[in-house]
Amino acid sequence: MALNEKLKIIIIEELNLEDMTPADIDDDAPLFGNGLGLDSLDAVELVVQVQKYFGVEIKDMDEGRVAFQSINSLSNFIEERRSA
Amino acid sequence: MSPIPPVPVTGIGCLCAAGANLNECMDSLFAGKRKPLPPTRFSSDHQVAYPVFEITRAFPADSSNQRSDILFTAELALVAAKEAIENAGWNREVLKNRQVGVCIGTTVGSAMNNEEFYRSYRSGGNPNMDAITRFLNSNPAQVIAAEFGLTGPCQTVVNACSSGTDAIGLGASWIRSGICDVVLAGGADELCRVTYNGFISLMISDTSPCKPFDANRKGLNLGEGSAVLVLESSDLCRSRKQSARASVLSFGSGCDAYHLTAPAPDGRGLKQAIAAAMTACDKTVEHVAFVNAHGTGTPDNDRVESLVLNELLPQIPYLSTKGYTGHTLGAAGAIEAAFTVACLEAGEIPASAGFETPDPKLLTTPVKHQTAVNGSIAITQSLAFGGNNAVVIFGKGDI
Amino acid sequence: MRAAIEGIGVVGGFGCGVEKLRRALICGKCTPKMIPVTTRNQTAELPVYLCDTSSLESFINKRALRRVDHYSKLAVLGSFLALEDAGVLQDDHLNLAIVVATGYGASLTTFSFLDTAFDDGDACASPTLFSNSVHNAAAAHISILLKARGPNLTVSQFEMSVPSALLAACRLLEDKVVDAVLFGGVDEYCGVLGYCWQRFFGPDSAVSMKPLEWNNQSAIAGEGSAFFFLTRDEGNKPKYGFVTDIQIGHIEKHESQSQLGGFLFLGADGQKSSGIHYARCIQQGTHAAVYTPLYGSFPVGFAIDMAIAAVSVREGTIYATPRHAGKNSGLKIIWNEQHLDSKRIYCLKFSCKGEYGMISITAK
Repeated sequence: MALNEKLKIIIIEELNLEDMTPADIDDDAPLFGNGLGLDSLDAVELVVQVQKYFGVEIKDMDEGRVAFQSINSLSNFIEERRSA
Repeated sequence: MSPIPPVPVTGIGCLCAAGANLNECMDSLFAGKRKPLPPTRFSSDHQVAYPVFEITRAFPADSSNQRSDILFTAELALVAAKEAIENAGWNREVLKNRQVGVCIGTTVGSAMNNEEFYRSYRSGGNPNMDAITRFLNSNPAQVIAAEFGLTGPCQTVVNACSSGTDAIGLGASWIRSGICDVVLAGGADELCRVTYNGFISLMISDTSPCKPFDANRKGLNLGEGSAVLVLESSDLCRSRKQSARASVLSFGSGCDAYHLTAPAPDGRGLKQAIAAAMTACDKTVEHVAFVNAHGTGTPDNDRVESLVLNELLPQIPYLSTKGYTGHTLGAAGAIEAAFTVACLEAGEIPASAGFETPDPKLLTTPVKHQTAVNGSIAITQSLAFGGNNAVVIFGKGDI
Repeated sequence: MRAAIEGIGVVGGFGCGVEKLRRALICGKCTPKMIPVTTRNQTAELPVYLCDTSSLESFINKRALRRVDHYSKLAVLGSFLALEDAGVLQDDHLNLAIVVATGYGASLTTFSFLDTAFDDGDACASPTLFSNSVHNAAAAHISILLKARGPNLTVSQFEMSVPSALLAACRLLEDKVVDAVLFGGVDEYCGVLGYCWQRFFGPDSAVSMKPLEWNNQSAIAGEGSAFFFLTRDEGNKPKYGFVTDIQIGHIEKHESQSQLGGFLFLGADGQKSSGIHYARCIQQGTHAAVYTPLYGSFPVGFAIDMAIAAVSVREGTIYATPRHAGKNSGLKIIWNEQHLDSKRIYCLKFSCKGEYGMISITAK
């Protein structure tokens, strides 16, 4: 499965966005603020999920802010860290 | 508007990483001593160890205080209660015959989270049920009441980080309403893997000693401890010719109603709590000697507190003592209340440990050095998970 | 010590809302669900009075509830039902105080948090589960959903949680800190609790509660919540009457109850360890009823008794004690529905440690 698709499913399942499907999440749409409406607690939860599913660590929320801008930025971040 | 009646504080007990009793704690604070270290009583599989302010098992030094039938939190509560009762000049037998209330704040002390039990249960084992029995016997207020034979109202407050402050406010209200004429009010909490892992998962724990209000602050260090204040009615104090160390002038409380973990950015709940407390005791900024801030060292908390202090209490010296004790959760408000009384007595506050570099984004800074303070009242405040804000105002000396 | 009861919200094994509670009282029964519990490689079926919180979605959309766990949902549902019952749900709740009593807190979420650390390592422990595992999470969710910024307090005292917290709620009204308090109790069932039940009380659990048989262990685990919209007594006639007294004490200092001028609702819930205190302390011939077989045994069940008392005062009716609550020849048990003449009800609960709490509810 493409990484983007997997990420969308993880976000929907782990953050309990029951009413959404992967098709509802645009690859470039902002995840936080007015996008999906996620907040600071979702951000730290996503950090844990990224660690759990991909073994990739996000050290602090400065890194997190960059990685979590969109599905694309998150999948790029993970691919970069995984190949390092 | 006339102020509500003050409630005398006749005795205090306190222990934490800074000391085994209140005097030892204050000596450490004024000597600027602090040494958070990786936990020794448990381990974790995080890549780095996060420093904590642990009480070594040498506290309590008196082995008769050690009990295997209750959680460490309840043991800590008993030690502080014992010191407080002695400090207030009460004989235990005499106290038994009075209507004495107990109001104690805690977080871990009321949580059934024994990992060994749960691991065994999860894997289909046959765990020993002692862990459950110990938990059921460890409600901190009940344990104190049972130990000292006290039969007045008994309440354990579980309001997360403001529990200790809330407990003191509640205890004082019992005295004012005449429900009882003595109350043991305070808080207790122990370190454990659950809170250690929990705060790390929220990314608000610092891998180095915490730096409340500092530009480079990264988060909190956890701690453990307990403190108990003996509150009494003024009539009772007078009749037994006991002088008060200070008095609880008022209590204020307000909820942010904003978020499960983050404080409201405008500090609205804290502003409400401070305003309510000041109005109730009919005092103004000019009377305030200093503020013992919540000051956990997290970016969010310190930013909000600094904003509120700048707005409501400009120019008033403030400090965080969590740089000496760590964040002791349910005990924090009570330990900080104990320190607030001791500092009012001394007319001085220690340096705000961990603060070096002012944050250009914050409009105020805590005291960097030991500072003499003037003013007849002092404020201690706590901000909790879930958005509760609690403030107690103490008045100096005997009434 | 006085507070006016303007609204009630209850959630229990009998369903949600005062109307479902009334039906259970009229029918005199409630059937628990059977839950498999495994101990020592044996699986037994444990009866439990479980709650369904799906009706919460009629108040709040699913997205707003995505991080609210079962424990908090029980409390939020009880709260919204109480406010709706009082006719104030749509009002501004800025100055509303919230006081919550809980015996065990969010126990299921606490263990779920441990699961995340045990399954995938400490670095994968879930911050969302941790934030929800604190006892005051329910009170926090209620305040956020209602935008209520008054004092917010959670109290945990096992069986004495309810009278202890009610004292704090009444103090807020009497001291005029606020004009209204949303007060309630909440406790949830979880697998670990069921396991402990089996280990402590044996694999052959009771299938029906007989709380009047003081020396027998017949408790059935339950969960639920009961919330009350309380205001200060300012001369108006409230919907359900008044809380007029709260006493908390210990049997060691308990003076033998003189004949009470009213009915006694016993919080006896089939736990042998507290049953002995009822046996010792209640005068023979006292008029009493017991309703715990309708909702089960859990620390804040006392709040459901308080709700039943308030409903009884409003209707001027004492409902019959469920038929199979046990034989007890010493007390005048209300076995048939009757008129409530004296308009005063005392709810009494003993803990296994000998503490007692008594709440009196009257029409005036």
